[in-house]
Amino acid sequence: IDYTGTEPSSPCNKCLNVSWDSTPPCTCTINFTLEHSFESNVFMYYGLSNFYQNHRRYVKSRDDSQLNGDNSSLLNPSKECEPYRTNEDKPIAPCGAIANSMFNDTLELYRIDNDTRTPIALTKKGIAWWTDKNVKFRNPTGDGNNLTALFQGTTKPVNWPKPVYMLDSESDNNGFINEDFIVWMRTAALPTFRKLYRLIERKNNLQPTLQAGKYSLDIAYNYPVHSFDGRKRMILSTISWMGGKNPFLGIAYITVGSICFFLGVVLLIIHHKYGNRNTSADIPN
Amino acid sequence: IAGVAIYTGMETKMALNYQAKSQKRSAVEKSMNVFLIVYLCILISKALINTVLKYVWQSEPFRDEPWYNQKTEPERKRNLFLQAFTDFLAFMVLFNYIIPVSMYVTVEMQKFLGSYFLTWDEEMFDEDTGEGPLVNTSDLNEELGQIEYVFTDKTGTLTENNMEFVECCIEGHVYVPHVICNGQILHDCTGIDMIDSSPGGSGKEREELFFRALCLCHTVQVKDDDSVDGLKKNRLSRRSCIYISSSPDEVALVEGIQRLGYTYLRLKDNFMEILNRENNIEKFELLEVLSFDSVRRRMSVIVKSSTGDIFLFCKGADSSIFPRVKEGKIDQIQSRVERNAVEGLRTLCVAYKKLTAEEYSSAQKLLQNAKLALQDREKKLAEVYEKIERDFILLGATAVEDRLQEKAADTIEALQKAGIKVWVLTGDKMETAAATCYACKLFRRNTQILELTTKKIEEQSLHDVLFDLSKTVLRHSGSLTRDTFSGLSTDMQDYGLIIDGAALSLIMKPRQDGSSGNYRELFLEICRNCSAVLCCRMAPLQKAQIVKLIKLSKEHPITLAIGDGANDVSMILEAHVGIGIIGKEGRQAARNSDYAIPKFKHLKKMLLVHGHFYYVRISELVQYFFYKNVCFIFPQFLYQFFCGFSQQTLYDTAYLTLYNISFTSLPILLYGLMEQHVSADTLKREPSLYRDVAKNALLRWRAFIYWTFLGVFDAVVFFFGAYFLFDNTIVTSNGQMFGNWTFGTLVFTVLVFTVTLKLALDTHYWTWINHFMIWGSLVFYIIFSLLWGGIIWPFLNYQRMYYVFMQMLSSGPAWLGIILLITVSLLPDVLKKVLCRQLWPTATERIQTKHQCLSVEQSTIFMLSQTSSSLSF
Repeated sequence: IDYTGTEPSSPCNKCLNVSWDSTPPCTCTINFTLEHSFESNVFMYYGLSNFYQNHRRYVKSRDDSQLNGDNSSLLNPSKECEPYRTNEDKPIAPCGAIANSMFNDTLELYRIDNDTRTPIALTKKGIAWWTDKNVKFRNPTGDGNNLTALFQGTTKPVNWPKPVYMLDSESDNNGFINEDFIVWMRTAALPTFRKLYRLIERKNNLQPTLQAGKYSLDIAYNYPVHSFDGRKRMILSTISWMGGKNPFLGIAYITVGSICFFLGVVLLIIHHKYGNRNTSADIPN
Repeated sequence: IAGVAIYTGMETKMALNYQAKSQKRSAVEKSMNVFLIVYLCILISKALINTVLKYVWQSEPFRDEPWYNQKTEPERKRNLFLQAFTDFLAFMVLFNYIIPVSMYVTVEMQKFLGSYFLTWDEEMFDEDTGEGPLVNTSDLNEELGQIEYVFTDKTGTLTENNMEFVECCIEGHVYVPHVICNGQILHDCTGIDMIDSSPGGSGKEREELFFRALCLCHTVQVKDDDSVDGLKKNRLSRRSCIYISSSPDEVALVEGIQRLGYTYLRLKDNFMEILNRENNIEKFELLEVLSFDSVRRRMSVIVKSSTGDIFLFCKGADSSIFPRVKEGKIDQIQSRVERNAVEGLRTLCVAYKKLTAEEYSSAQKLLQNAKLALQDREKKLAEVYEKIERDFILLGATAVEDRLQEKAADTIEALQKAGIKVWVLTGDKMETAAATCYACKLFRRNTQILELTTKKIEEQSLHDVLFDLSKTVLRHSGSLTRDTFSGLSTDMQDYGLIIDGAALSLIMKPRQDGSSGNYRELFLEICRNCSAVLCCRMAPLQKAQIVKLIKLSKEHPITLAIGDGANDVSMILEAHVGIGIIGKEGRQAARNSDYAIPKFKHLKKMLLVHGHFYYVRISELVQYFFYKNVCFIFPQFLYQFFCGFSQQTLYDTAYLTLYNISFTSLPILLYGLMEQHVSADTLKREPSLYRDVAKNALLRWRAFIYWTFLGVFDAVVFFFGAYFLFDNTIVTSNGQMFGNWTFGTLVFTVLVFTVTLKLALDTHYWTWINHFMIWGSLVFYIIFSLLWGGIIWPFLNYQRMYYVFMQMLSSGPAWLGIILLITVSLLPDVLKKVLCRQLWPTATERIQTKHQCLSVEQSTIFMLSQTSSSLSF
């Protein structure tokens, strides 16, 4: 579902030229209908396009040792983070362009049932790689668990409304190990990409996770994409062991398989036709 | 008291014939350099394209500097031009892997290690001398597979330089010394086999006269091993003395006669001493020697026997003896002589006449006058000789064999079948050389011999001769050139050209009127259409001249010169490949050569087997290197279109570095060392296979472009395969997303597997080392990736690869994608191979097919249908 709001009719059109620090955030609501019900766990993605997360300057603009909880890097981030390294003579934590541009729209999903809006529970854990969350990303160490104290001496990224230690209320999802943050930090390969936002877990076996019907998406529209001609989308998807819906693999396999089969037949014919000639032909010497 | 005048310096014969050694480079290396230039152009154009596109793309400011990705202050201030230049350089750095630097290292290693295979070859080891081949340079290994012209020396190379008395014919009766028959030296008269009926009494007399004649009519000097007591020793062991003569024929004759019971002992005070069968010493007084010259082609001696009779013995070529013969069984002997000549033996006829004292004194007077003449001495002498040497009584004929080296004929035949033209360059005179050429099957019986000699040129003008020859040759060449070249059909009219040094220098001599170029071209044209060329009476530098002439001719053929003596050195240095024979005439040639072999016959294996292998190996190696680097870098190039031309690398730095060093280097190096696409025996048996690789066949533009396009195709498959796999879908089973590094790793994994499996498809000769290397490097890649991603490396300031590889392996679509992409990228190559094999097989491939009863294509089809059935589920 595209909610960029480039069309004037879109409810999000008013938010198109939103800036980072607009308070209160511009909100809009988009209604949509699910034709089929989603039986198993549903994954909720946000998708951006025309966003060059794979730009070289962007990709390298991070400090992995800072994110790994190294205290010296925390206060003295890597040069790669320039120009997002320091702000007002204070080191930025987390530094770099990637962190600075973290996706900060808030998406909420409601089911509309007879004009009553039931919020759908969204799980925000388990969206990042386990190894990233537990090994690669760590909060700085020190005495006490008070993140505010640990991040003492640093400042928030320029574009963030809140410092890193206030990303979430739960302590195991706060600071550098905030999963939204980790997901964002894994730079995408292509300029059009999607990232996992929330999980909708199946509650019981009796009813599908998401029934067919009307839904509405509440968006706190903070993330500006219009300036670079970008688009924002929200995607709901189920997943099998084979991953999500991927027409490419199937088509490719069928194509290649039939080509192989065809070639096999052709070559067999050729072999039968010419094979005898070859073996009987004398080798000139 | 002895006075010795020695001159050293630049004007000695040796120094004048010496040529500066020049750097030799192989044709493969040359084409390699051309390919490199092409790739350099590709590299630069890629970088240029990307730079230009980058600035076109960036012209909109939101792309150049979106809010999420701003430049630093110094970056912003940089001069636009400077910035563009740095961008260009950055692209160059990014794509520089397309120039396979490691190829040079690998090629050098392959050549160096490969040259040991030559040295280790036991078949090329010679027991007689206890020496194997020597490799003086490893640069030219593959050149051995490209030879089109072989220039060979005759004496010591084709032949053993070892004359052997084979038979004599006295009065029409043929005598063959037993020596030749059973290899034993028998001293008494039973050592003669009478082939014809035994001669009567008069025959016996003639026989003895004949042997005496041979014993006396020569200019051989005796050198005793033991100078103090030479005579006695000679008696005790007849073989202990050494005969020295300017002509090896004479030595052979004297030695042969010695075996028949007549031993020439020495020349003492003008008395020639002969030890006859009864062990008596006969003494002859040597009165005159009418020495040999090439115009008369005979020599005579006048001797006075102990009984007082004066004999004139004459020995010479049949053509010069027969007209002067008065009596004797001319017809019988002549037919015998002709037979021998055809067999490649050097024949000499022996005749005598008895002189009375008056005759002798008049002859002596004439001689004296002639010798004392101040003017035209030569001419007068010749006239006198002419007068004296007449009215002979024919005794018989001898046949001396200059023994060919073992299997020389076989070797030459094989070389000719392999499409190599063999030229014999020799200092010998024409008849001998021609005889040898017949013996070693360089000229066959049906070869039409064209002569371009001084004699002929004296008769006609050079221009006419050349013109005539070219007309004869070219008349046929119109329709039959190809066959002549291939030399396949024996009923074809072959041409053999004989040219001598004087004629050659006439052709080569620059003329004032500038027409020499014409002659040269004409000459070349003739030579090219002859299957064999014999150049006799060559000066060493002329040999080099000939080589140079051919080397610089239109087609730039690859030449090989082989020789054993110091006089061949300049030729060896001039040719593309110089081979020295570790022979009798010293080591000069072997030392100056690129390769040295003990015997001529080893040339066959060296060219047909080793040369072929080296060439096939190195050409595959070079092409493969270019291919794998195209595969490697082209996805990077494509990726630039998707990352805003920002020089973002697709692969991780470690992969970039290690790709050429460890993931893909060893299998190809091993291939370059071990590959035997056909077995060595087959190559040796089927010399025509050599044609398949002639003229740099495997490194022509077509092959190069094929490999490059294959590389580009594979790269496109890798990249867009991965692109569509990642594009807008989820490829994991837990819904989590992959980043750009996973993307790169996926492409890289497909790349490494494809490139290695492609090599495996090309390998025909599997040893356990091949298996070990090919599968080993794949396993190494996997282990390395697991390790590289499995640990937070403390010395790195980025951890972008952390668990990327493992995460990728945990996803089903990635596996399926990898398998699919590998299959697709290998498909066209397999297809091309199978189709070409089936429809247009080369001789090599036919042999391969024949040898593997279940041919490759069947198994390939089997494999293909297997894959297809497993794929279309």
